[in-house]
Amino acid sequence: MKYSYNWLKELSDTKLSPEKAAELLTMHSFEIEGLEKNNASLDGVVVGEILEITKHPNADKLQIATVETRHASSRLQIVCGAPNIAVGQKVPVAVVGTKLSGGEIKEAEIRGVKSFGMLCAEDELGLGESHAGILILDKKAKVGEPVAKYLGGADDSVLEIKVLPDRAHDILSHVGVARELSVLEKKKFSYAFNELILPTKKSQKLKVEIKDKDLCKRYVGVVMENITIKESPRWLKDRLEICGLRPINNVVDATNYVMLELGQPLHAFDMEKVSSQGTRNKEQETNKLQNSKFKAQIIVRRAKNNEMLTLLDDSKIKLNESNLLITNGDDALALAGIMGGKDSGISENTKTIVLEAASFDAVNIRRTRTVLGLNTDSSYRFEKDLDPNLTEKAMVRVIDILEHIAGGKIEGIADIYPKKISPWTVRLDLEYANQLLGENVPLKELVSILNLLGIHTKYQIPASPAGRQNTKYSAIACTIPTYRLDLRTQEDLIEDIGRIWGYEKIVPRPMIAEVLPAKLNEQVFFERIIQDKLTGLGFDEMYNYSFYGADDLKKTGFSESEHLELANPMNPDQQFVRAKMTVNILKNVRENLKNFSCISIFEIGKRYMLKNGEPAEERNLILAKVLEKDSNSETFYNLKGTTEDLLEAFNIKNTQFLEIEKSSTILNPGRSAKIVVGGKAVGFVGEVSQMVCANYKISKHLAIAEINLEVLRDVAKNTLEYQPINKFPVVSRDISMIVPKDIKYAQIETLVKKTGGELVNNILLFDRFEAKNSMAIRIEMSAKDRTLESAEIDAVMEKIIPRLKNDLSVEVRK
Amino acid sequence: MLKSKIEEIKKQVLEEIEKVKNSDALFDLEKKYLGRKSEFVGFLKNLKNLAPEERKQIGELANKTKLEILDIINGKKADLSKTGPSAEKEKIDVTIPGNKKGVGHLNPISIVRRDIEDIFTGMGFEIADGPEIETEFYNFDALNMPKDHPAREMQETFWLKNKKGKENLAMRTQTSAVQAKYMEKHKPPLRIIVPGKCFRRDGSDATHDNTFYQFEALIVGENINVGHLKQVAEDFFSQFFGQEIKVRLRPSYFPFTEPSFEFDISCTVCGGTGCKACKYNKCLELGGAGMVNQNVFEAVGYKRNAYTGFAWGFGLERLAMMKYKIDDCRLFHSGDLRFIRQF
Repeated sequence: MKYSYNWLKELSDTKLSPEKAAELLTMHSFEIEGLEKNNASLDGVVVGEILEITKHPNADKLQIATVETRHASSRLQIVCGAPNIAVGQKVPVAVVGTKLSGGEIKEAEIRGVKSFGMLCAEDELGLGESHAGILILDKKAKVGEPVAKYLGGADDSVLEIKVLPDRAHDILSHVGVARELSVLEKKKFSYAFNELILPTKKSQKLKVEIKDKDLCKRYVGVVMENITIKESPRWLKDRLEICGLRPINNVVDATNYVMLELGQPLHAFDMEKVSSQGTRNKEQETNKLQNSKFKAQIIVRRAKNNEMLTLLDDSKIKLNESNLLITNGDDALALAGIMGGKDSGISENTKTIVLEAASFDAVNIRRTRTVLGLNTDSSYRFEKDLDPNLTEKAMVRVIDILEHIAGGKIEGIADIYPKKISPWTVRLDLEYANQLLGENVPLKELVSILNLLGIHTKYQIPASPAGRQNTKYSAIACTIPTYRLDLRTQEDLIEDIGRIWGYEKIVPRPMIAEVLPAKLNEQVFFERIIQDKLTGLGFDEMYNYSFYGADDLKKTGFSESEHLELANPMNPDQQFVRAKMTVNILKNVRENLKNFSCISIFEIGKRYMLKNGEPAEERNLILAKVLEKDSNSETFYNLKGTTEDLLEAFNIKNTQFLEIEKSSTILNPGRSAKIVVGGKAVGFVGEVSQMVCANYKISKHLAIAEINLEVLRDVAKNTLEYQPINKFPVVSRDISMIVPKDIKYAQIETLVKKTGGELVNNILLFDRFEAKNSMAIRIEMSAKDRTLESAEIDAVMEKIIPRLKNDLSVEVRK
Repeated sequence: MLKSKIEEIKKQVLEEIEKVKNSDALFDLEKKYLGRKSEFVGFLKNLKNLAPEERKQIGELANKTKLEILDIINGKKADLSKTGPSAEKEKIDVTIPGNKKGVGHLNPISIVRRDIEDIFTGMGFEIADGPEIETEFYNFDALNMPKDHPAREMQETFWLKNKKGKENLAMRTQTSAVQAKYMEKHKPPLRIIVPGKCFRRDGSDATHDNTFYQFEALIVGENINVGHLKQVAEDFFSQFFGQEIKVRLRPSYFPFTEPSFEFDISCTVCGGTGCKACKYNKCLELGGAGMVNQNVFEAVGYKRNAYTGFAWGFGLERLAMMKYKIDDCRLFHSGDLRFIRQF
């Protein structure tokens, strides 16, 4: 909210400069979002005196003024089109170089006559909409001084405060901030807040009834007669404008003024509209009124389902039972606490008004305005709860102002206040206060802070005689004024004591605690190893959003039903919550291919799924690889190699890569494999199908692999044991062969191992020519206790070769 | 006689070796003087015919000289390999780039996260984590923010269409959601940090993104106070930035802490004298902190006022941006290798 610093000064009597006050408030109260000199845009506009006026030789409607400003070395010659100027007047002069909203003032030649500046009208200074003539200043204005000094809001500063929800009820008002300033200056608050007491004169014309006491805690209605609707005086308009409100007429402006001063939204109805004019339900309700002495009535009730109301801003809204209305018994006059109705508002012919100062249930206002999408100065305050006692103060103030500026006379008051709110008491344990802050706030200062805040304090002595020997007082009973709704617990009080006393006085202190080792988060450190291995293998780390869009589902063929969905996405690209790690990594590849020809990337993160209808999360690793030169299946084998390297780094030996029966929609089914360790599925590696690549405009072979990190951590939990190094030589024999198309390398390896027995340590595929189905393997053999004789080796080979031929129809080449 | 002959041979070797220009000539020279059929080896073979006294004397000299000649030849060999024509043949352009395998790069968030985790692990903190999709209860209610609490507006929330039973689900807006869960399972004293991914439905610009990383710290025990918060924070930030950092607390409001603070640190560029980096504020804003609200303790089943504690939540991106002078937080999630490969 924006605050006029002059207004705050007036209310608090502070002598501080705006900058100093802003600094104090920042350190002890709340965040200041801005501090600006009002009318800063008028820099360069000075007071000038018109010395001479002559006719323009070439234009009937123009005049040439000679003006003294004391700014230029000589008097200024200025061409002016306004008819209202006269010699001797003091006027605002924008000298050459001044920047106004219309642009920079430059030396100009107007119809052959030179002009060195501009005489300004109201609109040109951003003060109003009038362009009727040059703004004529007070005769006492001093020539050469900044014109801002002589305009409304002169020398004022605008303070913008970030008001947080806990203090909205008192700080969204000038009185609240002024009170805060007084506390910080250790001064008694001078504003006569407590003396704002309603007169007791009961209205003879207005009856108020609250049907729903839960939603309306108090309703003060006042009838004011003899009102003249007109423009507000300058001082009032200035204050509203500084705070960002648009002046309308004296009655509306007065209610807004009091809202800015005290924080209580007010509303004014035309009395005639409050006297029932409606047609519906006339029999029932109006009759009731006719029997009584009252001329008008206000009934606060819930709306009926589908009841309609046209608001002040001309919007028509359809209501239901959860919305609260101000009615005249028949027709809705206003949407309670949010906005007035169009028909019941003040018009220029209004003579008698009904003023409303009420207190509504914050939750209900919040819900209604959220559902209806409305946000007004009034709802902004009501939805954060307000002190019902504030209604009275605000009513007194607005009556006072209207008596002065609208000639109004109060007829009488109708105040319905079913459950009066009184000050409450919070017990503040002194030892606890100091213990929580970590410093001993001197008792005298502590009590003084509380008292300045308007809190009534009463010492309590320790219950036990022993306690009384240690301290004089153990606690303070604090009676909280109702305008501080937020002070409910002793911690709330300790916060106010701490911040006003000064957090900067609290000295850092080392904690004293038992020395205990922190429990290690195994997953975190496991993932660090993965990151380190992968960066070692040349992979760069991606961080992706946890969302993607419907378009991605279309492109990848993943189904919507596997996904959790946001109810309120920011844009369609982020509608679904990531169930597949692959989607965003595809986009990473697409984007980076614009700058790079080979890509090795990975991401560690969560995927989110539905498991038995409930959300579940799983930590995963995704890898993607594009090679610079990517002939045929090379990319797949390259990334497969990386996954093998990674698994081996965790001493995992029994890894299998199995064909996938039902492959993912994005993979090429002939080029993808499930990774299985000890019977557990760990993940997959595969080539992304050409169609999906094309959907993402990826024109190269792309291999991806995904590994479930929770499963991997589980299978990686093996204990490492040193194996003695074999002292005897390793002998190797090569077999070159032609392999039938349907035989897999894994079958050959298994057979060789099984047939060769203990002596075979290792089998390597060292050559392969895919087109001719030829493979060459090297079999490494050794024994742990002797050097193998060549006869032994031959015997093994003679067992293997026939089995290859017979079992797998492999043709072994000599 | 023999003695002078041996010395003569050494002299000849020294003279001839000067003329040797390549390894072939050196090989010939070595063969001539030390080869099996050389004059010198002949002497050694005939030593046995000498008188014992003379044999000892000449034998020693001959052996010593043989070793000296060998040294000379080896020295020449070394010289030749440095300057010889074969060295010339093998000479390469060493400025041609090597065959790099290329080391990968961590995202700067990971780097900063590790720094934080390591410092806090050193201070005896456990690293905790929780789900990124939270129930409304743990993300809000348990943190003293019931439905319709105005403070909920401080955190624009991504809600899910899906529900857990009857409970509403949200992408967690803060790592504080882990607080309640952890405390339900553990009794004080406790010290945890919670680094993790958070989500807010905010418009994105250079300093805001709808996905971000927070790290939460939570200490609960008996007699934990504001002074402790200041000390732990100063220790951490001083270590993190490698320079002395002072902490400044300003009043603020969060439903889950009371008192609550805005948390500033002395400017890492000027150290608190005022400069362009801190816009002459002498301090840099970092995030929110406070003493845990007793309502939060009650919500997890601790007795009211039995414990005190502090908590904070800072953005990891902000720290990374300060550390590496990154000016746009959207870069972290851009996936742009031109960015990642700088770290």
